[in-house]
Amino acid sequence: MLYIDAGTSFSKIMTTNGEMLDKIAPIKINEGKYFYIIPSQNLSELGVLFDAGTGHMSKDYLKNGAKLENEILALAYGIKKIQSKQENLTVLDIGSRDTKWVRFENGKYKELDWNTACASATGATIEMICRFYNIDVKILPPNDEKYPVTCGVFGMEKIMDEIAKTKNVNSAVAKYIHGIAFNAWNFAQKPSKIFLSGGFCENNCFVKSLEKYCAVEKLGRFVLVEGLFS
Amino acid sequence: MSRRKIGFWGVPKNKIITEYQQKYPESDFLDLCMFYGAKKTTILPDTTCKIISNIMDNAIYFKNDLDCIIASVGKEKCDSGRFVAKILKDMGYNIIFSQNETYNGNEEIKTPICTSNLPLAEKITRITANIIKKDETIYEYCEPKMGFWGVPPNDFGFLELFPNETHVFGWTRCVEAKRPADDELEIYVQENLPTVFFAQTFCNKMQLAKYLAKKYGGLFIDVDDLATNSTKAKIQAYMELG
Repeated sequence: MLYIDAGTSFSKIMTTNGEMLDKIAPIKINEGKYFYIIPSQNLSELGVLFDAGTGHMSKDYLKNGAKLENEILALAYGIKKIQSKQENLTVLDIGSRDTKWVRFENGKYKELDWNTACASATGATIEMICRFYNIDVKILPPNDEKYPVTCGVFGMEKIMDEIAKTKNVNSAVAKYIHGIAFNAWNFAQKPSKIFLSGGFCENNCFVKSLEKYCAVEKLGRFVLVEGLFS
Repeated sequence: MSRRKIGFWGVPKNKIITEYQQKYPESDFLDLCMFYGAKKTTILPDTTCKIISNIMDNAIYFKNDLDCIIASVGKEKCDSGRFVAKILKDMGYNIIFSQNETYNGNEEIKTPICTSNLPLAEKITRITANIIKKDETIYEYCEPKMGFWGVPPNDFGFLELFPNETHVFGWTRCVEAKRPADDELEIYVQENLPTVFFAQTFCNKMQLAKYLAKKYGGLFIDVDDLATNSTKAKIQAYMELG
C-alpha cells in the first residue's frame, strides 16, 4: 500500500508490506515500511498513484476511490499511533505554508487550531531566506533575542534593517527563527512540552529556540502519513 | 428596468421599516450586508470586515436604484456600521438612522428557526429575511448535535459542513429573538455542545468568539471573504474529533 502526505514544498511517502518505489531511494526503512521524501513538483515523475493521501498537493495522485484525509485529522491519528501511551500531549506540525496543532488530555481530543489566515512566517519563508543568504539552519546558532513576527512581512523588514545596520546575517535570521518559535509556542497555547512534527524538526536553530519555552520531542516528517495507515 | 430599492443593514426598528415600506411601496428591500457581485471600492481601509465592505460596495454599485438606506447605527450593529452611515450621508446618500437597542426584557425569548432542523444556511437566510417580512412558519424543535455561534457570514459555503441538527447562537439568535442588542443573549451557548464560534475577520466580535470558544471548548474561526480550504478542514476535524 502507498500513502502520501503531499505538502506544498515536499511530499512525504510511506509504502508498506515491503512495497518499494523504483525511481527514488528511501531515506528510512522500518519494519517493512519504506519512507521517502521528494519535492512535490516532481511527484508526477514517480508515475504512481496512492491508496490514501493528505496535504494540499495529493488529490491529483490518488487512486480511484482512495481516501483524501484532512491534514489535521491525519496529524491527530498519526500522533495517537506514534505516542499511544501518552495521555496528555500537544503535537505541533509546521509545514511550508501553515502551522497546526492538536492537544489531547486524558487520551481524548481536547483542542486544535490551524493558522489559516496568514502563514507568511513558516517553512517556505525560512527556506527562501536561508537559500538567499546561504545559511544552513542545522548549524545556525540560536539567538536569545527574537523579532516579533506576528506578521511575517514586518519580521522580514526587521531582518533587512539588522543586516543593513550590522551586516550580521546569521544573527538576524536566528532572531527571526526565534520569533517564529515563540509564535508557534504561543499559538499552541504555551504547552510545557511539544511533540514537533514536520520539516522544522531538522531545523536545529528553530528547535533550540523553541526549547527556550518548552521541552521538545522531535517526531520527524512522517507523522501525518502514519495517520493515514491503520 | 430593475425595481427601485430601499437599502438597509443590521436590524432596523420595525416602525422605521414599516414607515419606509409605505413611503416607497414600489421598492424592494435590499440587505446591503450581502455580496451581490459589486465591484470592490477603495473608500474604506483593507482591514475592514467584509460585511461593512459589502455595505459600502453595494451602496456605490446600486446608487442610482436606491430611494434611501435604513442604517442600523446602535448597539445592535457596530461602530463601523455607524461610521459607514456617516460616510455615506456625507457622500450624499439619503440615510435613515435607526437604533434598535431596547426590547421588552420580560418577553419570552423565541428562536424556533435557530433550533429547527433546517440546513444551517437556510436557517440563517430565513432569520435575516425575517427582519423585513415576518415569518409565520411553525418550526419543530430538533435536538442539537452541533452549535454555530456568530453573525450571518459573508460566505455561506462553509455552512454546508454543519449537520441540520445545528443550533444557532450569538448575534444571529438575537436577530431572530428581535433583541439584536441583547449582549447577554449573544454570549449564551449551550454548555457541552460542540460549537463553532465564527466572526468575520477584522470584526470586533472576534474578541467574543475567541474568548467563548476557549471558555466552552469550542472552535474559533474567523473568515475574511471566502472560507479557505484550511478553514473548512479545521471545522471538519473539529466535528470528527470533538
